[in-house]
Amino acid sequence: MSDNLARVLTTDALRPEFTGRPEFTERPGADERRHIEIVSPSTHKRPRVVYAFSAVACVGAIVVAQLLLSVGISQGAYEISALRASQVELGRTADSVSEDLIRVSSPQSLAANAEALGMVSNSTPAFLYLSDGSVRGAPTSASGDQAGAAGLVPNSLLTGVPLVTQVTTGGQGASVASGAPAAGTAPVAVTVADGLPSPTTR
Amino acid sequence: MARTNMSSKRRVAATVVVLVAIIGLFVVRLVDIQVVRADTLSADSLGNRSVERTVYGSRGEILDANGVVLAGTVMRYDVALSPKNASPFTRTVDGVETSIPLSQSVAEIGAVVGLSADQVQALITDSLADNPKSDYALVAKKVGVDAFRALYALEIPWLTFTQNPGRVYPNGAVAGNIVGFVSSEGEAQAGLEAGEDSCLASNNGTETYERGADGVRLPESTVTTEPAVDGSDVITTIDSDLQFFVQQVLAEQAQKTGAAWGNVIVQEVKTGKLVAVADYPSVDPNDVSATTNPDDRGSRAFTASYEPGSTFKALTAASVLDAGLATPDSQVVAPYRYLPENGANINDSSVHGDLRLTLTGVLIESSNTGMSLFGERLTDQQRYDYMTKFGVGTETESGFPGEDPGILHPAEDWDNQTEYATMFGQGLTTTALQVSSIYQTIANGGVRMPVQLVSGCRAADGTLTEVPAAEGTQVVSASAARDTADMLEMVYQQGWLADTWNIPGYRAAAKTGTAQMPDGNGGYSKGYLVSVSGFAPADDPQYVVSVSLADPVNMNSSAASAPIFQEVMSQVLKKYRAVPSGATAPDLSGTW
Repeated sequence: MSDNLARVLTTDALRPEFTGRPEFTERPGADERRHIEIVSPSTHKRPRVVYAFSAVACVGAIVVAQLLLSVGISQGAYEISALRASQVELGRTADSVSEDLIRVSSPQSLAANAEALGMVSNSTPAFLYLSDGSVRGAPTSASGDQAGAAGLVPNSLLTGVPLVTQVTTGGQGASVASGAPAAGTAPVAVTVADGLPSPTTR
Repeated sequence: MARTNMSSKRRVAATVVVLVAIIGLFVVRLVDIQVVRADTLSADSLGNRSVERTVYGSRGEILDANGVVLAGTVMRYDVALSPKNASPFTRTVDGVETSIPLSQSVAEIGAVVGLSADQVQALITDSLADNPKSDYALVAKKVGVDAFRALYALEIPWLTFTQNPGRVYPNGAVAGNIVGFVSSEGEAQAGLEAGEDSCLASNNGTETYERGADGVRLPESTVTTEPAVDGSDVITTIDSDLQFFVQQVLAEQAQKTGAAWGNVIVQEVKTGKLVAVADYPSVDPNDVSATTNPDDRGSRAFTASYEPGSTFKALTAASVLDAGLATPDSQVVAPYRYLPENGANINDSSVHGDLRLTLTGVLIESSNTGMSLFGERLTDQQRYDYMTKFGVGTETESGFPGEDPGILHPAEDWDNQTEYATMFGQGLTTTALQVSSIYQTIANGGVRMPVQLVSGCRAADGTLTEVPAAEGTQVVSASAARDTADMLEMVYQQGWLADTWNIPGYRAAAKTGTAQMPDGNGGYSKGYLVSVSGFAPADDPQYVVSVSLADPVNMNSSAASAPIFQEVMSQVLKKYRAVPSGATAPDLSGTW
């Protein structure tokens, strides 16, 4: 560092700067350099206007941006609000249909519908062994005397829900206004045109 | 130069005056707003912008063993109207502003909630008669989503809705007696709803948000002041499908025989889990008031104890075998009447001559005198100890609220008649559950498993708490239990109900019971409590079925309960694919 300082002090070119007076300077090169360093009044004026304009423009831009942003946000607020409302609505739809689904999948509903379709339960199980073809248990055909039994375990949620056999082909459920409990109605004879429907397996 | 100086000075002075005046005005206004009326204004402004809202936590569900919802929470809506504002209003119909008269509004409201137009109109006029400024009259409580939407679509400005979470029981009366119910205010009242309330209960939270003049919620303004906490789910051991079947069979037979009430228990032998607990009459928790007698709204299987009668003989037999004081072939001569030395007086249910019976025969004939001759080989204290180990006299581990422990007096308090009566199920009381547990113990090689109704409380994150103990206790030796099971199989094969409860292809073990019922005044009524308890398959027991029917007036014997045992046990064996082993039954002789 001390080495550097010594060199600066011995440089002739820098001497006039120590005096601070340009008219004493004889070297034109040094004079030119000082003119560049000092901002002349003529070059001062133009940047001032530019700065003012750019500052005002900046402020304006900020204001506009802020306005746009706030418009955007409030637009978002309406959008959120609308989406929230539709979410609530969809939630209600989901609640409504899942309640319906749970209701019709209750044992009472299943039993009443199965019975209406002419199904009976067989409580004497038998097992066929594939290994040796033997039969374990005593196979007996279902007696089918359980018709009308499904209604002893009440479910007030099923009031007015039609049985599958009562639903019209148009897909519109029979009128709920009938009011009669689904269970206990006489089984409707099922007519099958082309044999029992069965899935096609490949 | 001087003139311009003067005018500029004046201008400056005027400007200063105006500025001071304006600033003064602002200061006054500022002080007024910020200091004088600060509290009122800020409260007003917050009230205008900020909305507090209840966030409902949902009460936990009660599930069956397979996850079927037995009790769930749904959102319901209370509908109210403002009588003082009830007047015609305009609604846009097909793009045309139409005035809807009051008569049409009330008819539309009534059609949705199930009231007549006159009833709704009466609601308005009555409220106004009471109070001309009436602003609230409840139209319907807890209407469903569909009804709410229909009402909302009417756009009636003086109709208001309040959310009110409700409880729904999708399976109705299936397990209704066990699940219990809540009051219309949501208070747990009976069954598991009450017993497991600490698990199920939820906490409602609150949140506030700010809204603009048009009612739209301002973004990022929501503050949750108190988070809502959902309740945990209770998982039961019940199988709802089987439960339905059992209730159905029970109700059918109870109605046929004119029984006052009854219950059926299906219990898993290896685990002690209750697969079905059916009560008749049953209660539909969706419509509790339809069950008129409050006693019918609970589960007597847990809460009613009675003298078990002859089903209890299996316990005495197992105790004697375990103590090594008899074998299934041990012989006695059973008279009709037996008068032991201590002064008791024992007789059988029907007159007979002296019977030469083995212990097996005593069970087949269900002889009280014969059982007394075996039971007296044990001391009273020994028998008392066996009984307590079998679970008699204490509540089971089920955790059902209000469970009855039954009555079992200490051995030293037994009088001479009780000493003998306790050998064949009198002089003490048990619940249906305790009887089932006795048979579970015998079927499970003498190991009594804790009775399980709830397999845990499942929090939202899936963690299971309140898991019941699964450690069994050895009550009698495995061989004593095996011998008792063999003897009970002989009862099933050779007893007087053999044809009634026969399940083709399967080996089963069962015992009947007929006990007198108390009349409530310290004596006995004329009614009997008839029961059948047993298990199958006899060679590898999987399920206990225990049936009780109270006072079946049309058929006052255990023949009334036997068909239930047969049907339920068949269904259980079929449902759980219990394959008949094909092995031959032991051959024990009942006489000698």
